Amino acid sequence: MSSLDHGYWKSIAEIDREVASDEAVREAEFAAAEVELGDDAVDPLSRRNFAKLMGASLALAGVAGAGCKRYSREEIVPLARRPEDQVPGTTQEYATAFELGGHAQALVVTSYEGRPIKVDGNPEHPFAGGGVLAGTKRHGGSTAFAQGSILHLYDPDRSQGVSHAGKGGSFSDWKVWLGELRKQGNFGKVRVLSEATSSPTVQALRRRLATELPGLQWREWEPLSWDNERAGMVQAFSKVVRPLAHLDRAETIVSLDCDFFVDHPAAVAYSRDFARSRHPETSSLGRGRMNRLYAIESLYSSTGVLADHRLPVRSEHVLAVAQLLESLLLNSAAPRAEVANEAKVKTLVEALAREIKANTGRVVILAGRKQPAAVHALAARLNQTFGSSCVEYLEDPEPSRPSHGEAISTLAREIDQGQVDTLFILGGNPVYDAPADLDFAGKLAKVATSVHLSEYQNETSAKTTWHVPRAHYLEAWGDVRTWDGTLTLQQPLIAPMYGGISIIELCAMLLGDETPADVLVGKTLADSGAGGTWRAAIHDGFVDRTRFAPQAVQAGGGGAGLVGSQAGGSDAKNGELEVTFVHSSSTYDGRFANNAWLQETPDFLTKVTWDNVALISPDTADKVGGISSQDVIRIKVGDRQLDIPALVMPGQARGSIAVMLGGGRTRAGKVGNKQREWAGGGFDSYVLRTAAALDIVSGASVSKTGRRYRIATTQEHFDIRRGYSIDKTVGEKEAAKKIPDLVREVQREAFGDPAYKAEKTHPFYHDHHHGRGGSLFAEKTYPDRKWAMAIDLGNCMGCNACVVACQSENNVPVVGKREVTRNREMSWIRIDRYFKGDPNDPEVVGQPVTCQHCENAPCETVCPVGATLHSSEGLNDMVYNRCVGTRYCLNNCPYRVRRFNFFDYHKEFQDARNNVRKLLFNPDVTVRERGVMEKCTYCVQRIQGAKIKAKNAGERGAMPDGTITTACQAACPTEAIVFGDLSDPESRVSKLHGDRRQYELLGEQNDKPRTRFLAKVRNPNPELVSHTNQPAGHH
Amino acid sequence: MATSSNEAADGHGEGGEARKVFRGITDDVAKIALSPTPKWWYPAFAVSNLMLLCLVVALYHLFTTGIGVWGNNNIQGWAWDITNFVFWIGIGHAGTLISAVLYLFRQEWRTSINRSAEAMTIFAVAAAGIFPIIHTGRPWFAWWLIPHPNDMGMWPQFRSPLMWDVFAISTYATTSILFWYMGMVPDIATLRDRAKEKWKQIGYGLLALGWRGSARQWHRYERAYLILAALSTPLVLSVHSVVSFDFATSQNPGWHTTIFPPYFVAGAIFSGFAMVATLLVPLRYLCNLKHIIKESHIEAMCKIMIATGLMVGGAYSIELFVAWYSGNAGEWFTFRNRILGEYSWAYFMMVSCNVLVPQFFWFKKCRTNPWIVVGLCILINVGMWFERFVIIATSLARQGVPGMWGYFSPTRWDLLTMIGSFGLFFTLFLLFVRFLPVIAIAEVKAVTPEAHAGKDHH
Repeated sequence: MSSLDHGYWKSIAEIDREVASDEAVREAEFAAAEVELGDDAVDPLSRRNFAKLMGASLALAGVAGAGCKRYSREEIVPLARRPEDQVPGTTQEYATAFELGGHAQALVVTSYEGRPIKVDGNPEHPFAGGGVLAGTKRHGGSTAFAQGSILHLYDPDRSQGVSHAGKGGSFSDWKVWLGELRKQGNFGKVRVLSEATSSPTVQALRRRLATELPGLQWREWEPLSWDNERAGMVQAFSKVVRPLAHLDRAETIVSLDCDFFVDHPAAVAYSRDFARSRHPETSSLGRGRMNRLYAIESLYSSTGVLADHRLPVRSEHVLAVAQLLESLLLNSAAPRAEVANEAKVKTLVEALAREIKANTGRVVILAGRKQPAAVHALAARLNQTFGSSCVEYLEDPEPSRPSHGEAISTLAREIDQGQVDTLFILGGNPVYDAPADLDFAGKLAKVATSVHLSEYQNETSAKTTWHVPRAHYLEAWGDVRTWDGTLTLQQPLIAPMYGGISIIELCAMLLGDETPADVLVGKTLADSGAGGTWRAAIHDGFVDRTRFAPQAVQAGGGGAGLVGSQAGGSDAKNGELEVTFVHSSSTYDGRFANNAWLQETPDFLTKVTWDNVALISPDTADKVGGISSQDVIRIKVGDRQLDIPALVMPGQARGSIAVMLGGGRTRAGKVGNKQREWAGGGFDSYVLRTAAALDIVSGASVSKTGRRYRIATTQEHFDIRRGYSIDKTVGEKEAAKKIPDLVREVQREAFGDPAYKAEKTHPFYHDHHHGRGGSLFAEKTYPDRKWAMAIDLGNCMGCNACVVACQSENNVPVVGKREVTRNREMSWIRIDRYFKGDPNDPEVVGQPVTCQHCENAPCETVCPVGATLHSSEGLNDMVYNRCVGTRYCLNNCPYRVRRFNFFDYHKEFQDARNNVRKLLFNPDVTVRERGVMEKCTYCVQRIQGAKIKAKNAGERGAMPDGTITTACQAACPTEAIVFGDLSDPESRVSKLHGDRRQYELLGEQNDKPRTRFLAKVRNPNPELVSHTNQPAGHH
Repeated sequence: MATSSNEAADGHGEGGEARKVFRGITDDVAKIALSPTPKWWYPAFAVSNLMLLCLVVALYHLFTTGIGVWGNNNIQGWAWDITNFVFWIGIGHAGTLISAVLYLFRQEWRTSINRSAEAMTIFAVAAAGIFPIIHTGRPWFAWWLIPHPNDMGMWPQFRSPLMWDVFAISTYATTSILFWYMGMVPDIATLRDRAKEKWKQIGYGLLALGWRGSARQWHRYERAYLILAALSTPLVLSVHSVVSFDFATSQNPGWHTTIFPPYFVAGAIFSGFAMVATLLVPLRYLCNLKHIIKESHIEAMCKIMIATGLMVGGAYSIELFVAWYSGNAGEWFTFRNRILGEYSWAYFMMVSCNVLVPQFFWFKKCRTNPWIVVGLCILINVGMWFERFVIIATSLARQGVPGMWGYFSPTRWDLLTMIGSFGLFFTLFLLFVRFLPVIAIAEVKAVTPEAHAGKDHH
């Protein structure tokens, strides 16, 4: 029997054998490592500094709590001496920070007996912290990447030692080499290629390097950067500044191809601010007011989903559309582009222009990362005139820095000219992600000695002379800045498990400075004059009032001309298509490829897991030769070509193909490597990306290769239809009727009617004849607490932070691509995504669904062994130990939120190599055995933890609202998910359950769910209502 | 029976004749068990064993790996596992119906087929019985469904129809086995008396429980048989009604239907008779029983299949009508989806096999040609398997939330498990045919014309 039938770990093991040529090299490395380490290599735990730090016994005790095999033998040995401030069995929280693309995300990380197990946003952080709802005391949202980043800490594929020339090496060898390099005294041919970092300490070290190692030059490369915006600021204001929008003050928000809810360094803060001004009854704009969002974009984004009006245009046409807007607002010349004359575009832009004029001062226009400088400049000019109170401009920490594209091109040129003999690559993975035309791998071969500091032995490490393991961010000291500049401290929670070092430490070594990193960071803080003590900064995780200084800017300069490809209309012939390079919601730019949690988290809009694909609009797919989803297409741009599976994506702009980056890795690790079709791994789309066109490239042609490739999506309707049906649309038609009932929406005007109640709008299951019936069984009463949840659909941007947070909190297993194709994904919270309307310009709604904790739970009555029961506080509890796995509960759950362990999804622990992953388990949550049912518990472990704490403190009953947050709730940047006690009439959840927008999902079943949804209020421009899809669901 | 109005006036003269006929029946039936194994039996047994081996392999893989070897998913928690279960339970209905209900109704033609039908029932229940156990995620804990005192504080949850299933099926299996075995005791005694080999004498002797054929024993036997028949009769209705509650008491559109109990019972009898006919038509040729299992018996079964087939067809249409008439949007969608959606092929397979195929039995030729009878009966059983698949898989595929709609695709392990269940059934049946009295000798004798010579009690 083939092990590919199931379990992804098993399948990957098989694949490993297949990728033999590549693997042989690595195999040799491991062999070398094992010889070096001797017997210790059999048990990876015992050779880790972690274990030394904590005492091996404690580590094993922790493992025992989270043991996955029912009968595995474990020993629990008490500590002889308890470490200071540690009470066994309790958790501690530490503030730290995580940097992605050179921008910080402020975090609070939970540590259990010395091992970090959970990441959350820092609620106190002045930029990213803070809630949306009245009554929220502490809240700090986070992102899916931050949530998932902790998995890398325990990744057995992480680099575990220095290697030299592809073979084993040691730190001391490398240090000897470094000492020799320093002795040379001539650093004119030494270059550093760093990933982007906002760290002031790194900058201080760079300044020292420049003086102490004269000649050494520093280059910076980041595959996904906001450099276009910097260039745009120069065009608009003649200087580099950083725009910071205050969406909570804006009446009108316009996104020019900018997905500021997800693909922006300030996404968490922007999401929060948007939510604050979104709801008429609580709006930061004033009662009854509500912002309105316009999205002009090519790829359907989260921003497009929340937009009141979305205009799908090619990314290269955004400039023309924006110029049309500018011409109407500032009386500048109208663009001579066909697209600007199309009726749909004109109608929308004209109405938008009138609205902007009317809301002068309270307008924000945000241009996206992919857009050229001209669009950013245009947005900046308009913001200056119309959004003066909503957008401020902050000082840039490195105004003179060349763009990343320029920097890496310069480096490539220098290598060609023989000006580089030693290259330090700090982080990043340029061999994989540098512009394809630079042939970075080839360039690297010309450099005499190269060093790669990296968490993984990745594609770049394979080509460099030295590889040095890099510490995970939870293992290293650092200081980073959020988008607004707030200095945010990064403190380690664990000693480096594999002996890695950070960029700061490597720079210090290069300087011959023996000072430990924390002292360096402390010195930077002290030198900065930011004030505050080190202790306070470490405790809080940030230093308040350290954001970048606002800059006065003066708009100048005119508009840019349109180039050829921007002047056409929205119809595009094959050969004139545009390709946009977009980040992957799973791997970002490829760096999270080995992260199984993120790989299996479905992209909010495409619902694709485990692969990156090319998105093409239904209309274009038909025109260029009848492409359907799962066809492998060949995209040709000039002499570059890429074979990648297509996904026909409703709402994708005509003539635009969005290619997700970050797939097709060859040295990402066991999870992330490109594998055979049934295991996923994606396609290397960087081959199309050149230094001249990092974001958008025109003139692409597409052809079918005739091959098919199975894409694993978690939702399969609307565009992926199966055969055999007599009427293939029977399901779609039903869904179209049902969805307005499931996901209720209301127009702002209708909502203005005080008689409006979402639960009364019941368009589908009209039930005039019957009142709500009772239950066959005696209904329970809840004298004590009544736990409940409210989910505000108006605030959900589909960022997936909740999904990954739940996976992390609840030890939810990953099942692999093949299992996803069989509808066996295990996520306890999913975000259902529905389209409606014209497939080329649909509306999209999203709906997070977890266990609804029904009072009349249909699952409970059908379980023959009483394994799912109702608690006295209204929770629908699962007793894993009692479950025999009949799956009857699953069949009887109308929400289909129950998840069955079809296999032993923790089989990977049979491989001792993976034991380290056990340390990540939340010890308060049982790891489920095969054959049992599981589902959302409302984070019952947190509820019980809080109750025990309150009881121990002698304050029985005293658990004010907000004491307990579920993992999904804590992760949500917009507080779309609220959990609490219904028996407290003042709790936020009680108030939301009494809101006019509340309704029950499938209320006609009388299951009495404890989770209520809050209808989404849409705020379309009354001028445009007749011109866009009339939102359904409220008649 | 009509033949009982025999005109023979005096039993004495005819007595010798009758004894010859009775002896002939005994000879013919006992010969099957006592004479050397016929040639056809070996290949048939080998194929059945091979199929049974599939079950062993499939279950080994299932138990060591997990339910995931099948195609079941988080949308359709049940698929072929429960389809096979309901299918086999349905097959198991004909036996009790023939033995008990027809007995009570004095349908004497039943005597030639009741023994083998009962055997088939027991083997079908055995094939069915493995599924509720193996379909659980942790079959090693399946015994937790049985109420028993324990120190774990565990007690079954009696609101669950699966609990009712446990009782319904175990009761049915027990009663059927008792009924079958008790009915066989006099015949086993005959085999004991005729067996030449020592081991057969001992084996049959043990099984015969000391039967000597005294009048008192016969009297008690008849009483006990009647009581067991009366006990079994309600089971014919209850077992499949309870099985249908697994679906009817759920809240899924397509399952939540009050018509299910009678509809399931009719379907069960329908499929049970189809299976009896499938087995007996070849058997009467292979074992030279044409004079005992007569053409008229096969015809009678075909007629029952017309009747039950019409009931099933009626149930399909009523179900459909009510789905529309009730105004329940979910119910109506489930049926439209069943007919028009991705599973339409399965739906039409079901309708054509179960509603159209039995209509051929209106023609005498179709009832009397053994090839046609077997062919049609196999189609009916295919249709009845699909009926359960349609109910289970299509209803679950598209429930309340379109975000969790799916499609079930079987794996080879689903297929092997199903083939294996047939292997178990056929293996047991072939062993029965080879070693046990396939015809109720005493009962058949009682309804031969000769038995009524001189007595006209009709």
